[in-house]
Amino acid sequence: MTNVAKSIGGKQILCNINLEIFPGEFFCIAGPSGSGKTSLLRLLNGLESFDIGDIYYKGQSIQNSDIQKLREEVGMVFQNPAIFAETVKENLIIRKQWDKLFFVDENDLFEILEMVELPQHLLALDARSLSGGEKQRLALARTLLNKPSVLLLDEPTANLDPRLGDQILNTINQLRHQMNVTIIMVSHHIHQASKYATKAAFLIEGTITETGPISILTNPVTEAANLFLKEED
Amino acid sequence: MEQSFYIISWTDVFVSLVLVALCLFLIKWWRIGLEKTILIGTIRSFIQLSIMGYVLTFFFGLDHWIFMVCLIIIMILIASFEANRRLDVPIKGYFMMNVFSMSITVFIVLGTILQFILDLKPWFYPYAMIPIAGMIIGNGLNSSTLTTNRFIGELAHREDEIDTLLSLGASPRAAVDTSIREAIRAALIPNINGLMLVGLVQLPGVMTGQIIAGVDPLIAVRYQIMIMYMWLTTATLANVLIQGMVYKHFFTSKMQLRKELFRVNNL
Ligand SMILES: Nc1ncnc2c1ncn2[C@@H]1O[C@H](COP(=O)(O)OP(=O)(O)OP(=O)(O)O)[C@@H](O)[C@H]1O
Ligand SMILES: [Mg+2]
Repeated sequence: MTNVAKSIGGKQILCNINLEIFPGEFFCIAGPSGSGKTSLLRLLNGLESFDIGDIYYKGQSIQNSDIQKLREEVGMVFQNPAIFAETVKENLIIRKQWDKLFFVDENDLFEILEMVELPQHLLALDARSLSGGEKQRLALARTLLNKPSVLLLDEPTANLDPRLGDQILNTINQLRHQMNVTIIMVSHHIHQASKYATKAAFLIEGTITETGPISILTNPVTEAANLFLKEED
Repeated sequence: MEQSFYIISWTDVFVSLVLVALCLFLIKWWRIGLEKTILIGTIRSFIQLSIMGYVLTFFFGLDHWIFMVCLIIIMILIASFEANRRLDVPIKGYFMMNVFSMSITVFIVLGTILQFILDLKPWFYPYAMIPIAGMIIGNGLNSSTLTTNRFIGELAHREDEIDTLLSLGASPRAAVDTSIREAIRAALIPNINGLMLVGLVQLPGVMTGQIIAGVDPLIAVRYQIMIMYMWLTTATLANVLIQGMVYKHFFTSKMQLRKELFRVNNL
């Protein structure tokens, strides 16, 4: 990702973003509310365009790649994921609606549910009756069924209690090893994130102020990041 | 029973203004405050329909199919323009989409009627062809405009769902599938209800007109049945054709939802 900038309606939302993320990393992006974290992930998933600069995935500019394939490979889990008015199972296999060849067998489904710690008996339930945290895990499972090689997570632990949040991050981390998935996560829970992340960056007011090893999450060099951490505590 | 139909004279029409006067009186009395609009409406309907009468007489006298087709094209153009004005959110190219979808709808529905149902001589017998074309165009565009406005509402309401589907690799068409289906269903329900309720309370307009004009009710009923089936097909056809084009307007070439088009400041 080089020199990417984006503005919407005359308002600069992201400016001069330079990031390099390598396969297999667990990259954590931290920053205050409204700093552009969600917007950044949406760019990576191809849900929005940027004005200048370019984003490369596997050495190829995402502007020239097959956008649907890109979205499958660089899967995204939203901050407030949309849950469809159907059963949990139908939510998981939603892809069937446009991909007639898509098929998941029961065992794969159970395995995915286990990964995200959702009990199997939920499958037949109306997905809208799930709790906020369960919905988030359902969305994660749904994206995972696409077998992405990059996973964009927008505050995946926001609605979860610390134990479950830990558990999910642990699962995600295992996935990273087992399936060689690269993780790009946006999080407010810096201490929790620093247990699993391998690299981190601060995004403040639409700019990356700092990139480096996870130690910067608790010990940033730049003043802006320090200020943000102080406010968080 | 040898009662022939009554020819209403212009004097009779003027006398019917008594009804409008009564309406105006009530409106004034209760200070509902629509006097001006009602007056304009009264005058406009009078002028428009009178002109229409002369236009129809003129065209009916021309007695060549080419003129009838021209008249239908003019009707499609005017109706499409009107439909364009009734959109909640401007859609680029909507006028042309309407012209296109209406031309096909009229061709199929009117074609079926003229070819297989009404055995008219000549086939373009204007007394049947033009009013039926008018009904197809009017009802079709009415329905498809409702659908489009509903579709825009669905998009605004479901933008998170649509984003989620896109993010999972769905095509724009798949991502708006529910929105399109909901919108078309909503627009077809009045038509279907019409089929259910027709004849129970109120006699439909075409039938009423024919009966007043002295046609045997049994024949008027047959016309009415055909027309109701025609409306249903017209609405479905027009909606499907229009929605198949409209949704594309709300996506970029990169398959991104153009939210700015239906965000609140635009509605
Ligand atoms: N479509 C849009 N139109 C106008 N402004 C927008 C739009 N999308 C985002 N913004 C603005 O961009 C900024 C960044 O938004 P973004 O959602 O990326 O923040 P965030 O870092 O994810 O915040 P949070 O932690 O609260 O989720 C915000 O100020 C927001 O108001
Ligand atoms: Mg956000």
